Amino acid sequence: MAPLFSSAMVPRMKYDTALEPHPEWKHAAPHRRHVIRPLGVPIVLHEWGDPEADPVVLVHGFLDHGRGFEPIALPLAEHYRVISYDARGHGESGWCDGYAWSVEVAELVEILRWTGKPCFVIGHSRGGAMATDAAIQAPETVRKLINVDGFGPPPEGFVPPGIQSDDRTHAERMEHYLDRRRQDSGERTWRAYESIEALMGRRQRQNPRLGGSWLEHFVRIGSRRTETGFVWRADPMVTGGFGPWRPQWAARQWPSLERPMLAVIGSEQDTWGPLPESMLAPRLARIPELERATVDDAGHFVHMEQPEATVELARDWFAS
Amino acid sequence: MTAEANGVPVQLRNGRTALHLHCHKRADGPNLLLLHELYGNAHDWAEAAAGWDGSVFALDFSGHGRSGWRDGGIYSPEVLAADADAALGELGDTFVAGAGVGAYAALLLAGGRPGSVRAALLLPGEGLAGGGAEPQVHPDREAFARLIEAHRSSADPSSASHDPRVVLSGSDMRPPDYARVFAERAKALLLAEDGTPRPSWWEHLRDVDGVVRCTGDLGSALGRLGNLV
Repeated sequence: MAPLFSSAMVPRMKYDTALEPHPEWKHAAPHRRHVIRPLGVPIVLHEWGDPEADPVVLVHGFLDHGRGFEPIALPLAEHYRVISYDARGHGESGWCDGYAWSVEVAELVEILRWTGKPCFVIGHSRGGAMATDAAIQAPETVRKLINVDGFGPPPEGFVPPGIQSDDRTHAERMEHYLDRRRQDSGERTWRAYESIEALMGRRQRQNPRLGGSWLEHFVRIGSRRTETGFVWRADPMVTGGFGPWRPQWAARQWPSLERPMLAVIGSEQDTWGPLPESMLAPRLARIPELERATVDDAGHFVHMEQPEATVELARDWFAS
Repeated sequence: MTAEANGVPVQLRNGRTALHLHCHKRADGPNLLLLHELYGNAHDWAEAAAGWDGSVFALDFSGHGRSGWRDGGIYSPEVLAADADAALGELGDTFVAGAGVGAYAALLLAGGRPGSVRAALLLPGEGLAGGGAEPQVHPDREAFARLIEAHRSSADPSSASHDPRVVLSGSDMRPPDYARVFAERAKALLLAEDGTPRPSWWEHLRDVDGVVRCTGDLGSALGRLGNLV
């Protein structure tokens, strides 16, 4: 493999410190950690369970991280080799000078190949859509798929309540994108918060159903302490892409999926999902081999809010 | 403008990636910025400098020529347009000409920066079509394998002519209605036609107000560009 990355790809300030996990979640920590470079960029993998068992690969959502699957990873590891990973630009994995969906799908396919066996795959949100595309592009790497509320954003023109609509044309938005690129000196960071509690509060505003020791643990693993305060660990640039992509493209290739999918959807409306049924149903109708499960008392983060129900669904689906 | 003299490169950046802007000619008159085709470089334009009454600069896009390779290897046309915008920031008001993927980047730049791009000339070349207007229902697994191969390549930046991962900027989606809003916002556009087929995004620009078509060689097209505004 060429030296296509350097330590400079993961900027670390002098005072940067990883935060300790929450004490109540120490027991769920991964059993093994790997750093691999499937497409040149260093990717951190978290692994639980018997390395000889059948692999289950977990694909996290946007601005999350691989250890966000800890509530389900440990129980799944009783029967499976469980692997999650931090996507490029997320968690402990390398930062890039730009991100692209197709390359991240390719990276997932190479991680599935790294396991050495066809995998059961569980993807959440953006990770669910990415896992679906990976199974479409490389069906030999996937045995069965679980997509947890990863069915794409709402159609164009649908503005969720409380969100300001953006009526600018792409050309007008391009100017804003170019301004951001000019301002990017390569030393990128998020706003610093004064405490971990403030960072938790920020996260809870977007995901009001998350709380307690789990939210603190999830936020601790997904952030770091810098000289100026607590900041998210993900590369701010993952939010800075620009292009013509449109929501109706999300499900375009789903009729080509050659693997069975279990669609797992929470019963409760949440900030990021689920989509209204009138938008969700036409997309799911494009999946050739689909089963659908609704999990009670769960919003968008089904596997975090109802881990036991999620694990039970996964075990049954994989064994069926 | 800090470029000193003929042939002296100007070092720019787009994010963490260093860019090489080559000065072909320094002269009184308006600036011309040249954007090469996919797999090309700034020296593709050696003959263009003579036909322009003003200074002529040519950019090596990231991943090409003497410019740096991007960490992670993402080269969308929008990223290449941001490369060109770094040159625009250096040069100020400028005429722009691009070939192939450089033509598409010139369109994005002309629509994104109508206050700085006086007019843009779009020329055919490698990477003009991209991956089509929208994704197809059936996946192109051969293209996907090529993408993985490019990203697993052991090419050496010190000796290779381009980053193999630039293949991505030949496969992106280019919806005609997306291209069209950039043409509508651009100050002036000139399409170089030669009777050969053009991708659908190009075809949809032809009837936009302010878009002009021309035929003939590069020299005459540049002459027409300079007289557009």
